Amino acid sequence: MQGVAETATTVAGYAFPNDFHVHWSLMIVLYPYITGIVAGAFIVSSLYHVFHIQALKPIARFSLLFAFAFLACATLPLLNHLGHPERALNMFLTPNPYSAMAGFGYIYSAYGIVLLLEILFIYRETLVKLKEQASGFMKTVYNVLSMGSDNIGSRALALDHKVIGFLAAIGIPMACILHGYVGFIFGGVKANPLWATPLMPVIFLLSACVSGIAGIIVTYMILKIGKVDMECIRSCIKFLWGFFILDFVFEMLEIGMHAYQATHHWHALHELFWGPLYQSYWTYQVLIFSVIPFFILMGLSLIRFPDLIVKFFGFIASAMILFQVLLMRWNVVIGGQLMSKSEQGVVGFHPEWIEKEGIIPAIIIMVLPIVILFILSKVFPFWLPAESTSNSSK
Amino acid sequence: MDELKLSEIKQEINKDRRGFIKNVLSGTIAGSLLMVIPAGAMEFPQQIPGMKDETGTFITKKKFAFIVDITRCIGCGSCCVADKNEYKVPEGNYRTWVERYIIDDHDNVFVDAPNGGLDGYTEPREDVTNPVRDTFFVPKLCNMCEKPSCTQVCPVGATYQTEDGFVLVDDKRCVACSYCVQACPYSVRFINPVTKTADKCTWCYHRVRKGLLPACVNVCPVQARKFGDLNDKKSEIYKIMRLPHVISVLKHGMGNKPSLHYLGLRREVV
Amino acid sequence: MEPEYKSKYNAHLIKVILVLIVLGVGVVAAQALFIPRDFGEHGHYRTSAIEDEMNRLVRNQTNESCLKCHPYIKKIHLSGVHKTVSCEFCHGPNADHAVDEKKIADMPVKRGEEIKALCLRCHNKIIRARPEESIKMIAMPQHLEEKRVQTTHICNQCHHVHDPMKWVIEAKKAHGLIKEKEGLFPWMN
Repeated sequence: MQGVAETATTVAGYAFPNDFHVHWSLMIVLYPYITGIVAGAFIVSSLYHVFHIQALKPIARFSLLFAFAFLACATLPLLNHLGHPERALNMFLTPNPYSAMAGFGYIYSAYGIVLLLEILFIYRETLVKLKEQASGFMKTVYNVLSMGSDNIGSRALALDHKVIGFLAAIGIPMACILHGYVGFIFGGVKANPLWATPLMPVIFLLSACVSGIAGIIVTYMILKIGKVDMECIRSCIKFLWGFFILDFVFEMLEIGMHAYQATHHWHALHELFWGPLYQSYWTYQVLIFSVIPFFILMGLSLIRFPDLIVKFFGFIASAMILFQVLLMRWNVVIGGQLMSKSEQGVVGFHPEWIEKEGIIPAIIIMVLPIVILFILSKVFPFWLPAESTSNSSK
Repeated sequence: MDELKLSEIKQEINKDRRGFIKNVLSGTIAGSLLMVIPAGAMEFPQQIPGMKDETGTFITKKKFAFIVDITRCIGCGSCCVADKNEYKVPEGNYRTWVERYIIDDHDNVFVDAPNGGLDGYTEPREDVTNPVRDTFFVPKLCNMCEKPSCTQVCPVGATYQTEDGFVLVDDKRCVACSYCVQACPYSVRFINPVTKTADKCTWCYHRVRKGLLPACVNVCPVQARKFGDLNDKKSEIYKIMRLPHVISVLKHGMGNKPSLHYLGLRREVV
Repeated sequence: MEPEYKSKYNAHLIKVILVLIVLGVGVVAAQALFIPRDFGEHGHYRTSAIEDEMNRLVRNQTNESCLKCHPYIKKIHLSGVHKTVSCEFCHGPNADHAVDEKKIADMPVKRGEEIKALCLRCHNKIIRARPEESIKMIAMPQHLEEKRVQTTHICNQCHHVHDPMKWVIEAKKAHGLIKEKEGLFPWMN
């Protein structure tokens, strides 16, 4: 192993000699996965804050913190991937206006600021109250987080309300830009027939929504085990199904279109989908982790099952969909590189457990957001007090 | 460019010999010095006439093109050896390589390039069962596109196109994100595992600026690789481009407009 | 009745806006400080990067530069069909051998099987794909059998590596098989 790029294990046909390396490996699989979860979780929150879907109120605040915990880790896989992470700030200093990747620094930062401010303004009233009860270090923390203000009078809260509405409103297009743009990074590579499709940003965005909603359902059910709001879960499942229909249909349309057009690119893609990607794409991504949860979600959305069944199968389907999106990222990111640009050969690739961009670092990066979420839970109360009766707080 | 006089250099040396050498080695003052020293100390034979007059930042009077003559290449791999020696290219990465094509009478195409042709071709292809219709070698290198994908996607301006048409890499700014590697339709780019930056064929820009031919052109025993000035009516390049040969570029449909041309290119070549 | 608060109702919003402005100014200041001065003069890159590339060490020289110090080899090498073969292809790059025309290390000289491997890189018939007209090709060991020598022979036992037909021609001349002034290959004259 060379430390910069993973070397392919098997080759079929003729691959250009430089195409034996998989330059974008596990880390670049995780990066769109994490930003997708961020964008999706933000959309869940916006469904309540902007579109006033009342059933989602119990998780509206939590999903913002959930999004923030993942956003805080979104750059880690990238930094771990770069050959020169110490030069990463070059992206801010000299961003190339023609590069699809150069906007990342600014888009990511702007979105991070919007998300952070949204959280702080939504939580301000709570934070001010907590500040009064806290002492010592925590008092300082709450003082900073409440932006040094103690004013929770009606005029101040009305102003907060306006700011929240504004942030949520610009947050939706920004979440879409953040993730649609990740799709653009891939879709814009004309040299790679698997990536080069205008549908790529659309598919990335839809799968982002799907993974965000599924992630929220799974963590909500784990954290509030036995005490979940069933109306909230039921509407989440409906939204999940709705977004997943679009996501899955577009994924299938994309490959169907390629097959139907049958240009010379298709011969290479065919070798890929029926070669090194056969198992991870057809068996896992499509058959097991798309078709099965699709029908579970359909059943749960159309038929009113008892709570226990909704909880059990809702959890299973959401967890499966979380994995489906990860598989989709794998099949796009890694899959695209397994097909040599000679269009005459495919290479195989298996990640190692212990190496710079191996499986262990990937697991660490995926566990970190959970750790951050745990720390956040010590500062921000995730759940509203007495959810069913209270309607005073935003 | 800094204009450092030789006397100044000598003074600098006498002041602190050790420190000076250290600085040169570490590259802090190498930039401007090496430009001056070779001019007096090392005379390069001028393989490209008129390069001595090109002292500006860009080459102004010449328009360089590269032609690979497929009908001549014998697949010896001299070019690959020279290239590896010139740049100390790390194992498993290729700035240039040579492919072997065998096409049978059923139009099946057999291509291979074991170790990029670096060790030459020692074995026949055993899996060709039908009679062979056509067979040839195709050397590959940077296509030096007029509209390069790599410079378009580089997020930090570390790969760029000079005004004289060379596409180069700034290894002091490259972050090694590999986007350029993904974007190049010809797969001529790689991440150099030693410098941990993007790397690729430069048509030996450093040699050309000194009046030398690219290392691969210089060593080719059968003149299958040709490099020259399209503005020079006496150059072989100029003459070839005006003859009714089959002259083509790779992956024309990509729209990158390569300045690397192939003489006798078959349609089967990717 | 609303209680009295220490902060004004919009104090926190003003603070946030101020922080954002400071952040923006910070980014602009950092750009002014850390972007290399010659960046963007001619395009989205550092102009001195061109100079850096220009100053890369030339490691392969030309045959002319090698033969300057090796007049004996020069005479042989330039008289035969191998005059287009690069010295450095077999011997390695000049930069590992001489700096400013002064020797710093010995060049590797190939022996035995290594020589055979080098010869066969160009002259091996069995690999196909080679245009017949541009190079003389042989198959091994048929060539040795045809020439009635032992099949363990290395190429340079009959062929001088710098001028492959030198000894062959001399031998034929000595036996009167060809005339004094004639070569083996008419197109070489």
